[in-house]
Amino acid sequence: MNRTLIVLALVALALPAAAASGDAEVGKKKSTVCATCHGANGVSVSPEFPNLAGQYPDYIETALKHYKNGKRKNPIMSVQAANLTPKDMMDLAAYFSSQQALQVKH
Amino acid sequence: MQPTRILALAAALVACGAQAGEDTKVTIENRIAQCQGCHGIPDWKTAFPEVYRVPKLGGQKPAYIVAALKEYKSGQRDFATMRAIVANLSDEDMQAVAKYYGGEQAAQPAPAAQKGAQ
Repeated sequence: MNRTLIVLALVALALPAAAASGDAEVGKKKSTVCATCHGANGVSVSPEFPNLAGQYPDYIETALKHYKNGKRKNPIMSVQAANLTPKDMMDLAAYFSSQQALQVKH
Repeated sequence: MQPTRILALAAALVACGAQAGEDTKVTIENRIAQCQGCHGIPDWKTAFPEVYRVPKLGGQKPAYIVAALKEYKSGQRDFATMRAIVANLSDEDMQAVAKYYGGEQAAQPAPAAQKGAQ
């Protein structure tokens, strides 16, 4: 295999990975409404609302997807998720997961 | 088998039963160990029906954890593994699990998060 082919193969491998992850900066801009309950820094202001800061992005994305498709039911979140695109979900997930609060407790 | 032996065997079985009765007492540590089997392992993933990392619980709001567990128990929230696990949890167990993961940590934002908020 010549060098060009190797480079092309590597680019092709990298593309799906890049497409599958959200943009935290874009997510921050989209997160204004989330902050009302979950806090500007992803640490919620009320005991009923979960902290999102530092949560795994794939978990956040799955939760949003489930609120949208009805698998997970919540009067507030179903409405919020209804208008989100898959890209919005990935961006929001990237933003909240980039913050710090939640940890894996050993 | 001689009657004496049968009696001895029966007595041994009864003793075993009594012993087993004590051993089957499930403590809150046992309950938490069940949670930790997934939530205590960094990057641990679900396998079915979708694949994603199980949520971090350290520092989560205790009231939210209790609410989530109750939703699994009532069937409002549906994930097979969680529903099987919460089936045996009492309200007191749920409070104890929530305190273990959330507790005082959850009362305040982590230092890094506070810094971000300033």
